[in-house]
Amino acid sequence: MAEEKVPIIQVKNLYKIYRVGENKVYALNGVDFTMYQGEFCAIVGTSGSGKSTLLNMLAGLEKPTKGEIVIAGKHIEKLTENQLVTFRRERVGFIFQSYNLLATMNAVENVALPLSFRGISRKKRLAEAKKYLKLVGLEQQATHMANQMSGGQQQRVGIARALVVHPKIIFADEPTGNLDSRTTMEVLKLMQKIVREQNQTLVMVTHDNQLAAYADRIFHIIDGKIVKIEENHHEEEKENRQEMEENHPEENEEETV
Amino acid sequence: MRFLDLLVMSVNNLRRRKMRTVLTVLGVIIGTASIVVMVSLGIGLKEMTMEQYAQYGKLTSIEIYGEYYGGQDADPLYLTDDVVEEFSRIPHVKYATPILDYYVIAKQGVYEGNLSLKGVSQEYLNDLDIGEGELPSSSDTEMRLVVGNMVYRQFRNTKTNEYYWDNMVKPDVDFMNKPLFVIFDTDAYYQSRYAQDGENKVSPPKKYMLKTAGMIAGGEEDYNENSSGVYVNIELLKAQLKKIFRKNPIPGQQTNKKGKPYNYFIYDQAMVMVDDMEYVTEVQNVLNEMGFQTYSQMQWLEQSQQQQEMVQAVLGGIGAVSLFVAAIGIANTMMMSIYERTKEIGVMKVLGCPMGNIRTMFLIEAGFIGLMGGVIGIVLSYTISYVINHFGGVGMLMMGIEGNISRIPLWLSGMAIVFAIFVGMIAGLFPALRAMKLSPLAAIRND
Repeated sequence: MAEEKVPIIQVKNLYKIYRVGENKVYALNGVDFTMYQGEFCAIVGTSGSGKSTLLNMLAGLEKPTKGEIVIAGKHIEKLTENQLVTFRRERVGFIFQSYNLLATMNAVENVALPLSFRGISRKKRLAEAKKYLKLVGLEQQATHMANQMSGGQQQRVGIARALVVHPKIIFADEPTGNLDSRTTMEVLKLMQKIVREQNQTLVMVTHDNQLAAYADRIFHIIDGKIVKIEENHHEEEKENRQEMEENHPEENEEETV
Repeated sequence: MRFLDLLVMSVNNLRRRKMRTVLTVLGVIIGTASIVVMVSLGIGLKEMTMEQYAQYGKLTSIEIYGEYYGGQDADPLYLTDDVVEEFSRIPHVKYATPILDYYVIAKQGVYEGNLSLKGVSQEYLNDLDIGEGELPSSSDTEMRLVVGNMVYRQFRNTKTNEYYWDNMVKPDVDFMNKPLFVIFDTDAYYQSRYAQDGENKVSPPKKYMLKTAGMIAGGEEDYNENSSGVYVNIELLKAQLKKIFRKNPIPGQQTNKKGKPYNYFIYDQAMVMVDDMEYVTEVQNVLNEMGFQTYSQMQWLEQSQQQQEMVQAVLGGIGAVSLFVAAIGIANTMMMSIYERTKEIGVMKVLGCPMGNIRTMFLIEAGFIGLMGGVIGIVLSYTISYVINHFGGVGMLMMGIEGNISRIPLWLSGMAIVFAIFVGMIAGLFPALRAMKLSPLAAIRND
């Protein structure tokens, strides 16, 4: 497996420096790593460690101060804002902590939204969106508006919305941050399963080590530096899961996805 | 993004905040209606003035008078057939006609009247507005009359010796069905009737029987420029006069220094028809340069038109102020909307919505507010206009004549709607650009 790895995200010597008055704050202080296609990576760190800044930069939402970001062979630190929008439209799916569904649209329309940015006809994109809603198990709620759904359901719509564009990479920013622990497990498993099936790269930011344990590799970030990259093998993952089940037995009673 | 998708999204956003949208639209409605109603009053005023002038003569006609005495060392400027022919070659002149005024006495039964026969060209006859009967045709060999609808007032009853004006009884003259007996040699007629002595006594002149081809349109009381005239074909009139007077001078015609008549006709007056109102002044200037005295309705109208245009501009300006206020309302609404939707816009940008689409979406929203306000504003304008015209009596009050004071032509409605959309989009432009430049990071922020 290790020999066939295709690098999809390469970060070299990345810096992000904010100026606060006279002081320089190093949000990212020389970060280097590579992520491979089909990997589930977790970036773990405490609040203020620079993990969100890193994710924003990988998704092209913020510009680095220094360094290189190569995604699928493309240097995105040199792109203009318009090119970045196009880059995201073509290659990236995004899952938000607070779901961020549009209130004027129902579930299936929300899922279809990124397709409409590509100029796909309403009929086609709704058909595609329904397929993905089914995949996340929400075909019954297709016509529900955002405020008629629970947090877990909304996040599953969010996942479907990220997947519908067949992205190479999916970024997830604390995707379970607003969910209770049981729904967290459901959502995480769902993401893990779908990403595996479709051989997509999932980059998840979290502050929770236990959630990170679901990932293949865990990047620990402290004060803008990657301090440790943990490899999570299949067996270890199982162990972790058992460990978690021991810790939170009530959360894993029913895992239906 | 497809335009239709953008449109649906924009409309849905407007529907989300119904009250706010309604209030903003209300502003545009009032703005549009005030502009349209104000301008419609201006148009009404202008058109009514024009109609008033048109009553006294066609607005495209120019009257021309000959100059008999000339200057100190200039020859008199006579209006002859050749000169009139020359007029008709001036650019933008539709036709030129001499007007040969000739006084006759006309009789029918007990009624007798002094009429002025106006010999005019066939083209002029063709332009007359005929009510009863028909136009004399150019192939007529006998003179036929076109009688004005108020000519009956010029007759008197020879038995009672009362004119129409004496007792306001309409003389029972039937122009259409009975001929008039017309005396051309009026001098001879008076001499035969009133001469005292036998030596001056002349035999009464011959009466000619003239038929009426048609009557000028209009009721007995409806004044217009032709209502008191009796019109005949000038060529036939000239032939008739030559036949009657032979070598003798024709009454009313100029004589040369020796007192002999000219062998051609000299007219007091001629008329030129211009093909369009806007060239009247131009043609009139050419005629004036040729040395003739001229008169047109247009020269008066132009003065008052300038005034009307100023009034219209002022009225439109008052209306524009309220639309300007409405535009500020739109801009305000759009700004509010952007603050409210900062996160949503961020999400769309993160998901890869092209920047231009975000701008377009907000422009459509603002334009849509303008469109709704414009359309409803036009409906309101027509309502207000109807009320002013039917219940206000403002037209009577302001102009002293009847007619609609508020007139909304189709172009005004169309322009108003387009303008309202335009104003909406201009007002929405700054907010839209701002929305476009919003940072996608707003979407990531968790609050």
